[in-house]
Amino acid sequence: MALLLGPFLLLMSKFIIQVNGPAYGTSASVNALRFTQAALMGGHQVVCVFFYQDGVYNSTDFSLPASDEYDVVEHWQQLAVQHRVPLVNCVSAALRRGIVSEQDANENALNHWNVSQSFIMGGLGELITSIESADRLISF
Amino acid sequence: MKKLCILFRSAPQGTVKGREGLDLALLSASFEQEVSLVFVDEGVLHLLKDQQPELIGGKDYISTFKALPLYDIESVFVCKQSLAEYGLSHGLLSIPVTVVNDEAISAHLKSVDEVLVF
Amino acid sequence: MILHHIQTSPNRDNALKLCLRYACKEDAILLSSDGVNALLLRQWAMALSPFKLMVLKDDVIARGLTERLSNVCLIDYNEFVAQALLHDKVITW
Repeated sequence: MALLLGPFLLLMSKFIIQVNGPAYGTSASVNALRFTQAALMGGHQVVCVFFYQDGVYNSTDFSLPASDEYDVVEHWQQLAVQHRVPLVNCVSAALRRGIVSEQDANENALNHWNVSQSFIMGGLGELITSIESADRLISF
Repeated sequence: MKKLCILFRSAPQGTVKGREGLDLALLSASFEQEVSLVFVDEGVLHLLKDQQPELIGGKDYISTFKALPLYDIESVFVCKQSLAEYGLSHGLLSIPVTVVNDEAISAHLKSVDEVLVF
Repeated sequence: MILHHIQTSPNRDNALKLCLRYACKEDAILLSSDGVNALLLRQWAMALSPFKLMVLKDDVIARGLTERLSNVCLIDYNEFVAQALLHDKVITW
């Protein structure tokens, strides 16, 4: 059984990627992005990329790197569109850090919001159900 | 259902890692996962009784650890060596825990499906 | 078999120390980001020597450490993905 299962897993597996580091300041997000790209190129499925802790800073449209710098946020957004991978924020981690979607802004009578359309405001429940359905969780 | 281990290695109060780890642990349990907690290194400081986070602008999430049985989280392991390093005796802890050696923690990490470190 | 993933420098963070405390001899360790710096320090290089060790190639090249770390097993992201599946789980410390 193990002999059969091993190669099968290598052929087509499901990953859940957790990003705990910000877009700027540490390399966690870039490394997570590159792992996700490699997994997708290898024919695997990425159930979801879940942004928790300081990882929620990846979802703001208000990050403006200089024009000659690598824009990890833009690359996450492209990946989400190209491969239809959901990018999910932990909403409670986000709101505490000033990361706000249009809906959150409306509910809290705020005039501004910063979360990109590419990101879904979800809950930890989505992380848990994704872990449940995936073969492997990889955190960065 | 998966066996999820939430491992606390960071101290309370200085960062929110422990709080975000506990949030995940409680939610995992309410999503009917088999949740276990492991406290190692500075993470053992979460277990000290008489903490007053409000004094320094924090929220008293520490008292939420007392609610673990309500969430059916019964596996709470603490590294014996870490307790000794920080000079903590059993009497200083706020909740019932199982004190285990390094080998037992290694075996536990091996036995679960995923480990999330905070 | 666990793949232990260390992203931080042992001088800044206890991740590597804890991983080594709880790793079993059949486990593997992957160093990435500033985690690769551990191999420059004799005490950590020695402590890592009993384990199957992998280091993320781009993180080594980016830091100008290719020559200094010429005798370690460098892997790319495709291999990282493969190793994640070959092991029962990945623990990022």
